Order: sequence, then C-alpha cells, then structure tokens
Amino acid sequence: MKKTKLGEFEELVLLTVTVLQEDAYGVEIKRELEERLNQKLSVGSIQSALKRMEEKGFLTSEFGEATNKRGGKRKRIYRATPYALKVLQELKTIRERLYTSIPVISYEI
Amino acid sequence: MKSDSSHEAPKWPFRALRYLLKDEYLEELEGDMEEVFRDNLKIHSPEKAKRLFILEALKLLRPSLLRNFGMSTAITRHLMIKNNLKIAFRLFRKEKAYTTINVAGLATALAIALLIFQYVQFEFSYEDYNPKADRLIRLTKDNMNGATVVDQDCETNPPLGPLLAAELPEVEAFTRAYHIDQHMLKVGDEVYREPRTYAADPTFFELFNYKFIHGNPGKVFLEPHEVILTESTALKYYNKTDVVGETIYFTEIEKDFEVVAVVNDSPPNTHLKFDVLISYPTMVASLNEEDDNWRGNNTYTYVLLTAPDKYDHFKGNLAALNRKLQEDKKLRNAQVISEPVKNIHLYSDKAFEPEKNGDYISVFFLLGVAILVLVIAIVNYINLSTSKSLDRAKEVGIRKVVGSSLFQLRFQFFTESFVINIFGGMVAILLISVFLEQFRSLAQLPVSFSPFRDYEFWISLLTIITVSSVLSGIFPALILSSFKPVLVLKGKFSRSRWGNNLRQSLVIFQFFITLFLIIQTLTAKKQLDFMRQKDLGINTEQVIVVPLPDGASTTIRDELLTHASIKDITFSTMLPGLPFSHLSTTTGIMLENSINEHNYNFNMIWIDHNFISTMDVELLAGRDFTPEENSNDNVIVNEKALALWEVPDASSAVGQKIKLWGRQATIVGVIRNFHISSAKADHLPVLFLPSKGAFGFMSVRTAEGDAREHVALIKDIYKRNVKDGPFNFFFLDEEFNKLYQAEVQFQQVFGVLTGFAIFIACLGLYGLATFTISSRTKEISIRKVLGASVSQVIVLLSANFIKLVATSVLLAAPITWFITEKWLNRYAFRIEQSVWVFIVPAFALLAISFATIFFRTYKISVINPADSLKSE
Repeated sequence: MKKTKLGEFEELVLLTVTVLQEDAYGVEIKRELEERLNQKLSVGSIQSALKRMEEKGFLTSEFGEATNKRGGKRKRIYRATPYALKVLQELKTIRERLYTSIPVISYEI
Repeated sequence: MKSDSSHEAPKWPFRALRYLLKDEYLEELEGDMEEVFRDNLKIHSPEKAKRLFILEALKLLRPSLLRNFGMSTAITRHLMIKNNLKIAFRLFRKEKAYTTINVAGLATALAIALLIFQYVQFEFSYEDYNPKADRLIRLTKDNMNGATVVDQDCETNPPLGPLLAAELPEVEAFTRAYHIDQHMLKVGDEVYREPRTYAADPTFFELFNYKFIHGNPGKVFLEPHEVILTESTALKYYNKTDVVGETIYFTEIEKDFEVVAVVNDSPPNTHLKFDVLISYPTMVASLNEEDDNWRGNNTYTYVLLTAPDKYDHFKGNLAALNRKLQEDKKLRNAQVISEPVKNIHLYSDKAFEPEKNGDYISVFFLLGVAILVLVIAIVNYINLSTSKSLDRAKEVGIRKVVGSSLFQLRFQFFTESFVINIFGGMVAILLISVFLEQFRSLAQLPVSFSPFRDYEFWISLLTIITVSSVLSGIFPALILSSFKPVLVLKGKFSRSRWGNNLRQSLVIFQFFITLFLIIQTLTAKKQLDFMRQKDLGINTEQVIVVPLPDGASTTIRDELLTHASIKDITFSTMLPGLPFSHLSTTTGIMLENSINEHNYNFNMIWIDHNFISTMDVELLAGRDFTPEENSNDNVIVNEKALALWEVPDASSAVGQKIKLWGRQATIVGVIRNFHISSAKADHLPVLFLPSKGAFGFMSVRTAEGDAREHVALIKDIYKRNVKDGPFNFFFLDEEFNKLYQAEVQFQQVFGVLTGFAIFIACLGLYGLATFTISSRTKEISIRKVLGASVSQVIVLLSANFIKLVATSVLLAAPITWFITEKWLNRYAFRIEQSVWVFIVPAFALLAISFATIFFRTYKISVINPADSLKSE
C-alpha cells in the first residue's frame, strides 16, 4: 500500500476535524487546537495544513453557511475521508504497539 | 454619529492578498480572518487587534495557499531560480566587503528616496480629502496698471460669489470665507483668540468636505450669530464635543453666538484650515456690508463647477463677465481670475494667502535630488560588480561550456542585483523606522505622518526596488555574460575596455552630482546668512510685542515708561515679520500734479509719533509725526513709494501733496526703506498714517537684561490696564526670523541629503579602489622589488582615481555656476557667487576621495613583495 506522509501537525489538525464533526471549519479548528495544545496558532498554519491534506486526499470540504460575524463570508466545513480515518487508525495501532514494546524499566523512569 | 471605523479590520491587507492567494481560497480565508479579528477585538484594544490582523495576514503567505503564478515547472527549471539564489548567497558570503558596501549604499539611498517620495506625495495630496476638489475653483483678483498685472490678491469682493452663481451656468454653488483674526471669544470666564476664524456661507459645507459630529448640516448658518467649532476647539473650550446649543460671546461684535454644530478638524493637507466658523449673515449685519459693495475686497470666493471639464467654459465666461464688470465700473483697474483649488498649495503665492503655501520648485528639486542619490547608489553597484569581472570570468566560461544560454546567464546576474536590492530595502525600512521622528520634524510633517500605514508606501518601495534592481543589474548582466569562453578558459582574458570606460564615466558622474550638491548647499547657506544678517532698516532686537484688543487704551504707555528697564514704547497696526493680513492696501494714490496715471498698490500702516524713534528707522527728510496728529492730512512715505511716483530725491518730496481717497494729504516726512517681510522679496511702497488709537500692537523696547523679567513686568501692568483680552507676547526678532523658516528647513534637508550623497559616493569609491587595487598586487610587488618606494606606489595607485574626481570637478563647475545663478535670481536681494564656493568644495572633495582610498593604497604599498610573489 502506497503510504502518503502525514506530518505531526497535520495529524493533530486531522484529529481535530474528526472531533469537531459538523463544526470543523478554519477558525473553530484553530480555537479547539489552541485550547488543547495551550499555544497560539496562526490562521495561515491551520489553513495551509488543511489545504495540503485536502490535496493528499485526507479531507474533503464544502461551503457552509455565511454569518455576519464573518463579514458575510461563507465557512468551509472539512470532513475526514474514509482513507484518512484508516490512516489515523493505522498510525494509532503502530504507536500503541510501539508503546507496549517499551521495556518496563525504562517506561517507569 | 461617531464612526466605528476603528472597529473594522483594515482593508488593505486583503486588497493585496487578493492578488497573491488562490482565488478558490479567498472567501474562506477572508471570513476566517474577519472572525479572528472580531475575537481579538474582544480581548485587545482596536490598535492591537489591527496589528495582529496584519501579522496574521502576512502569515497567510505560504506556498500551499499562494496562487500559482502561471509558471509551468518547465520554465521554472529553465530559470534555475533556486540555483541562482544559491550562487548569489555564496557570493555574498565570500565577498563580505562587497556585499556590505552595496547593501549600505542602497539602503541609505532607498531610505532617503522613500522618505522624500512620501513627503512629495504629501505635498501633492493637498485637497485630496475632498471628493469634489477637482470641481472647486478659487477666484482671485489681479490689480492692474493698464495691461500689466502689478499685484495678485487672493481676496475678492463679496458680491462676486452670488453674481457668478447667478450668471454662469457652469457654477453649481459658491461660498465665501471672510478671515477674522482679531476677534476675542469669551467662553464662560475664559477668553480665547482664534486666528483661524472665518465667516462662511451656509453652502461652505457643500463645497468643502467636513463631517458633522454634532448638528445638522442642512440647517446651519442661515441666521446671524451662529458658530461652528471643530472637534479640537470644542474639546479645548468645553472638554467635550457635544456642545450644540452652548453660547460663546464675541467681544468685538458684542453678541452671544450659538454653537450650531461641531465638525471634524481641518485635515493637514488643505490650504484653508479653520478652528472656528461663524455664519456669513453675521458679518453682513455687523460690518455693514451691503450686498452690492464692490469696494471692499476682503473675502475668499470659491465656486463649485457642475463638472470638472466645464472649467474652460467657465474661464471663457469669466473673461466676459470681467469686461462687463469693468464697463460698469465695478472693477476698477482690476480683473478677476480663477485657479483650481487643487493647485493652490504648490502653485499659488499671492498676497493674503490663508496660510503659507508650498512651492513646487522646492518639491521638484528635492525629488530630483532624491533620485540622484539613488542613482549614485545604483552606480556603486554597477561599478563594484563589473570590477569583479575577473573573478567571475571563469565561472561564466564554464557555464557557457556546459550549455548555459545567454539569457540564463543574464538572469543569474539579475537575480544577484535583486537579492542585494531586497536586502537594501529591508535595511532601509529599519533606517526609516529609526529616523522617522527626525525626518518628521525636519520636514515639518504632521505628527500623524507614518509611512508604514499606507499601502502606497509599500507599493513605492516595491517599485523602487524593482527599478533599481533592473538598472543596477543591466550592465553587469551585459558585460559579464559577454565573455568568450575559449579565451577565458585559456587564461587569455583581459579586462574589458568597455567595462573600464563605463566605470570611469560613472565615477565622474557620481562626483559630478556630489559636487553640484555641495556647491548648491553652500550657496543656499550663504544666501540665507546674507538675508538674515542684512540690515533690515529697522532694529528688531530687544523688542517685545504685545497684541492689543481693539479699543485698548494707550495709557498703559505712561505707566510702563516709569520703569527703568523699559526704554521706549510705540503703537502700530503692523510690524515687520507679521502676516500681510495686518497690512491694509489701497490703489490709486497719486501725486497731486503727476501727469502719469498709474494704479500701483500701496500699503498702509498706522503708527503713533514714537514709531520712527523706537524702531530706529532712519528719517531721510522732513519730520516725524507730532503727538497731536490724528488725521489722514499728513503722511510719511518710504523711498519705494517715491520711486513709484518718480520723485528723484527725498527732500524734494517733502511738502508735496498726494490724492488720498478723494482728499488731499501732505507728505511731511520720508523714511528709508525697511523690510516688512523677508529679504526674499523687494521693498514695498508704504504710506504711514498717524493715529492715536485702534492699534493692533504695542512694541516695547527694553534694556538689555533678563527677558523674562521684562515680560513679567509688562504682563503685570497690562493686566491692570487692559480689561478684556488675554496677554500674549512675542519677540520681534524671533517673529521676523520665522519668515526664513521655509528656507532654513529646505537648507537643512538639502544639507542632510548632500551629506548622504558624499557618503554613498565615497563608499563606492572605496569599494572600487579595493577591488581594482587588489588585482594589481603582483604588479606592485614587482615594482617594489625593482625599487619603488611606498610613496611612489601610493601616488601611482591614487593618480587614476584623483584624475577621475578632478575631471568631474572641471565638468561640474560651469554647469553648477549656471544653475545656482538661476536659483539666486529668484531673490530680490542676492549674493554674488564667489570662486571660493567652488574652489573649497572641489579641493575638499579631492581630499576626501584621497583619504577614502588612502587606507587601501597604503596597505598594498607596504606589503612584503615576497608574500605575494611566491604564491601562484
């Protein structure tokens, strides 16, 4: 199976998209992630990650509703593709296996 | 209603980003940014939120969001941008001196050019705040003597405006503005004097674009005794802007005025700035101005045309109207002309301008100099990069052999000049932000001036960088790419003759400009010193002037004179150095038995019998006024007036009769001309009339000593004698020197520019010397082995550079002489150019350039020949 690379930050954004479900648009993803990571993120960094993942086939998107708060501009709602969910699952499995393989002694340190 | 524009995201970042970001992402990104901005607004100040917004906008510039600039990968690969950049950065790292000199020179020049461009842009932005400005016309009056214009006056007759609106179809609306600067305003217990007060028609706001913060624009100024304040005046009087309905007492008119509106402050870029406006009907009532009074000539008249392209029609109709008015004897020896309001600030210099205007010659001069400084820096780059041709020749040869096209090679050299220029631009921004405050005060720009905020600044930065990259890259690209690979690789390469000639001519050109700037600066300084030290014909030192309210009694004089520190006191309506609005003018004053009819404009000053003695004015013939004289029967005139009447000498003038407003007056005295305004302008013909009251100014000549004590003493006595009116004072010599402010300022800016030009040119010379000398190391070593001394080597190496500088001196001298001569002719009292102003800078420049290269020539002349000869 041809693996497409998923960066660390991209993975975080992708996970946030799946968490937020219907609310997954730029600023909301930014807010959620800022809160969880406890650090400031720029619109540009979130957006470029989203765009890259869309190109790689991890995300699909469509326009949502426009609100006054956004100066009448529409939101773009992102949704993870089945392929993305599969990759996430794989990554998780790989990581879990790695964690369990750590010898107990060093794990306790 | 207060605008909430401070709570809106700035518009310009997205205006720019629209060109850079992919179209399909724009809506989403703009929406996101807007939302983030509003979130930020909740926790930060609007200013901080805006800063964050701009920062966020910059962070959007990422490869995955940027638009594809139509470049296919094939083209990108062909251009080898990445490789070119790599080569460029390698070169910079290797040649640190070369890079530093180039970046320093370009950065300084770019910073200067950008600041000057901003200043010029400000000067050209006058009236831009007003969307109707291209339809606004000001009417002014020319006083004529036959067909020749003797004098131009900004002010016109009050009935002109209504007449134009009624008669000419191109006129949509008119307004008049009558300047009132002597009025005292009483707000509660406080008394204020507002020099920028005008009486204006209700239509004023149809022509000039002001925002009503309080009050209703449609319903103001139809009645007398209404007043409109600007925002800051309202804040000054009441500490708040919601003051509609308050009353202000005008002491001169002796009436309460109702505040009907508060408008925004006059922008810094308008020629007509005001703090207080009163309704025009007030003036008609209080000054007894009937509607059809063609005698008074004291109002500014503006009209709004229906369309900008109707101006030619308007001018035609105005000429016809002029003829009619002249036939009807409404205009005597005068004509009304028009000028677009947009042109006033830079092109109009008439009597009674509302404020001192700019001068397009100075503005263009500065612009020219800024461009020259930039050219000097570009020349540096060309010289340095082509002088390194020997080092690059092998590289070019190899590239050609492996198949590089001419275009690719040239593109590589352009990449280098681009990168250097971009570095220069970045350092320039740093320099500007560090020196912004100094520049602001030097050029006397408003405090709000900050170039970084408007996107035009960034556009001009990009434009200048692009132009300068192309200009500086073009010669290296052509010269360096022209090497023949076979010759170069065989080692038979010799320096290109063409390149050498180019460098030499460019150095000559640089020093030509530098010398021109030095001589021009020195001449301007000498002319300014000459004007400031010129004997004014009147003694302005040790004189404290106190403006008096109308009708103030002159009894204060007796009490003041009892003090030993007060030497003398005089009262008058005008003093040297004060604005011309304090001067009354009249035409048609002729000698009784004169045959020649003329229509010169005479100026009138009312003085008391102490004026001539207190001010140390020289009485050439006749006598001073006596304390009893108080009518227009006797006058004193100055020499200039005699010259206009063609009276040969002063003594024969005394006793002659003149016609003064239909009456007869006798010349009792003649005084020597003294400067009423700066020595830039010629003397004016003046009639001095005796008076006992209604003076505007009291001038107190004090003894030497502490000026503060004198002022305190005068203030104390003033407060006891004069009831209404705040105590103000100024020193006459300081006030007079303010007339030269524009000159001093221009001189300073020019001096600074010249300094930088010398710096940049020497930087280039230093670089050039470094590289050409280092390529002659072997030659020098052999010469030394054969017995050349250190001094011989230094002379040998310097001679060529000094020859270049000397050539530029010879070329610059005559041309500079010609230009400064023209410049000096603008002054009525000018200096003669001296040879020393040319010789001293020429030798100074030679010395500076010798010193610049000395370090290099000395270093190479003391090397041990063995060190350089044994290496191959």
